[in-house]
Amino acid sequence: MNVFENGRSIDLMAVLDNREWRSHYQERLKVQYPTAIIVSIKLNIPGPIKSSPLLKDSYNFGLRDIKQCLKQFKIVYERFFIEKATGPEGFLAVLGDLKAVKLATISFEEKSTIGRLFDIDIMSEKNEQQLSRRSLGYQARTCLICDKDAKICIKRGVHTLESGYDAINKICTIYMKKQITIPKQSQDQVMRAAMTALLYEVSLNPKPGLVDPVSNGAHNDMTVFTFIDSSLSLQQYFNEAYAISHDFSGDDLTIMFETLRQLGIRAEAEMCDATHGVNTHKGAIFSLGILISAIAYGTRNGGVTIDDLQKIITKMTVGLVQRDFKNLYEKKQKLTAGEQQYQQYRLPGIRGEAASGFPIVMDMALPFLLKSVGTTSQRLLDTLMKIANSIVDTNLIKRAGSPDILTELKQWSAMYFALGGSQTPAGITYLEKLDAEFMQRHLSIGGTADNLISTVFLARLVGGI
Amino acid sequence: MEIKKTAIAGTLESSDVQIMLTQGTDGIVFDLVSDVVKQFDEAIKKTINQVLSEYDVQNVIVKVVDKGALDMVIKARTVAVVQRALDIVDEPKWEVL
Repeated sequence: MNVFENGRSIDLMAVLDNREWRSHYQERLKVQYPTAIIVSIKLNIPGPIKSSPLLKDSYNFGLRDIKQCLKQFKIVYERFFIEKATGPEGFLAVLGDLKAVKLATISFEEKSTIGRLFDIDIMSEKNEQQLSRRSLGYQARTCLICDKDAKICIKRGVHTLESGYDAINKICTIYMKKQITIPKQSQDQVMRAAMTALLYEVSLNPKPGLVDPVSNGAHNDMTVFTFIDSSLSLQQYFNEAYAISHDFSGDDLTIMFETLRQLGIRAEAEMCDATHGVNTHKGAIFSLGILISAIAYGTRNGGVTIDDLQKIITKMTVGLVQRDFKNLYEKKQKLTAGEQQYQQYRLPGIRGEAASGFPIVMDMALPFLLKSVGTTSQRLLDTLMKIANSIVDTNLIKRAGSPDILTELKQWSAMYFALGGSQTPAGITYLEKLDAEFMQRHLSIGGTADNLISTVFLARLVGGI
Repeated sequence: MEIKKTAIAGTLESSDVQIMLTQGTDGIVFDLVSDVVKQFDEAIKKTINQVLSEYDVQNVIVKVVDKGALDMVIKARTVAVVQRALDIVDEPKWEVL
C-alpha cells in the first residue's frame, strides 16, 4: 500500500503559513471556550506530500479512535478541515480536566497502531503552555524509523525521506488490515465465496492472455467451459479444507497445513479429471485452500481481522520454501514449474507468497478492491491490473522464459492506469490490444489471475463485492 | 533599517521556531530558548544574524523559542518576522482566512 499515491506536493511556505493559521485558530478557540480544553488533531507526515486519499482515510479512522478515547468528555465544539493541502486537521473543544484529556489522547497515541502518525495538542485558556507528554512522565515522541528522540533525528537529517515513507506505509497497512474483519460464516458460505471467486475471474474480460468467455487468450487447450468444469470439481475440496481446519486442535499449524496439502493433491486429481488433464486452477487450489483453512481456523470463536488471518497463514506455512526446495537436485521426477524457477532464478513463487502471508492480496489488492468504484467488471479489471503491477508472476516468467518480462508487465499496468483504467474506453481498448499481443507472444498472467481469485474471495466474505 | 514595531512569526509547535523582534538600541541582543541540545544554539543565531544583516537591521532584541526547527524553517521565519517588524508586508489577517 502506498498512502502517498495521488498526493499533492506543497512547499515549505504553505506548511509554515498553515502552522501560523493553526496557532491563531487555537488562540481564538481558547478565548471562545475559556472553560473548555482545546484539542488540536493533525497528522505528522514528513516530506512535501501532506495529503492524499489514503492519508485522509487514515485521518478519519484515527479520528474515530480518538473520539472513542475521549468519550467520557463532553464535546462542545468540533471542526475539521479534511481537504487542506497541508494535510487533514481539526479541532475539538471538550469539557474536562486538562490532564485527564491529555492522558486520554496519549493512550490513543500509544495504543492505536495509527496513533504513531498523529499529533494531538491539548491546551486551555487557563494554561500558558501546552501540556507536554514529558510533564506527565511520558517520553518525548520517538522517531518513526529508529525510536530515538524524533526532534534530534529531524534536526540532524539522519534518515532519508524514502525510509520515512516506508515506515508510514507500513504503519498504515497494518492499521488498515486490522480494520477489515471477516465475520464468522458457515462452511457453505465460505465454499460459495470460493466458487464465486473462481467464476468471477474466468468471466471477467478482456483479460490479457487469460481465458475468458470472449477470448481464450494465449491458451489453446482450454476455454471458459473448461474453467466452469474445473471450478465445480473443487467444491468438495473447499468443504473438506474448511472442515479439517475448523476442527483442528493443537498449536502447530504446519500440521494443519500438511493435512490440507494431502487434500490439495486429491483436488488436483479431481481437477484434471474434470478438465481432461489441463491445469486450470492449480494455483487457486493452493492459495484458496490455504485461505479457507486459515479462515475456518481463525473464525472458530468469531470474526478474524485480515491482520490476524495473515499471522495464521504465516504460522501454517513457516519454513515452507526451505522445506519444499531443499532437495531439488536429488529429485527424480520432473520438476514442477515452481521448483524449476526456484532452481533457475531462486524465485520462491507461490510458496513464498504464502509464507509471507499473501502480501499482494492482503496488503494491496484487497484494500484496493474494497475502495474501488464502478461496475463489478470495472472494479475487477482495475484490481487485476493493480496486482499485475507488483506481482512476480511465475506463470508469465515461465512463458516468457525470463524474469525480465516483469519490467514489461509493470509498464503495461502503468500505461493502463495512465489511460484511465476500466472507466475509460481507452483503458479497455488497451486491454484488448494487450490481449492480442499476449496471444501473439504466447504470454499469460496466470499468477496474477490466482491473486485476483484470492482477492475476490476475501472481498466477498467481508461483503465488499 | 530600524524596527518599526514589535512583530512575531512562527509558532510553538514541534519543528517550528517562534521569533519576536522588538526595538533595541544595543546591537543584536538574543534571548534564546531551545528544545534541542545546546550545540544548535550557535547555528540558530548564525542563521538569524545572516537574515538580519541582509535587511541591514543593526539594533534589535531577538526573542527566540526554538522547538527543533530545521535551518530552512528558521530562515523563513526570520524573513517573515523582519518584514513584519519593518512594516514592509501586511500581517496576515488570520481571522478572515
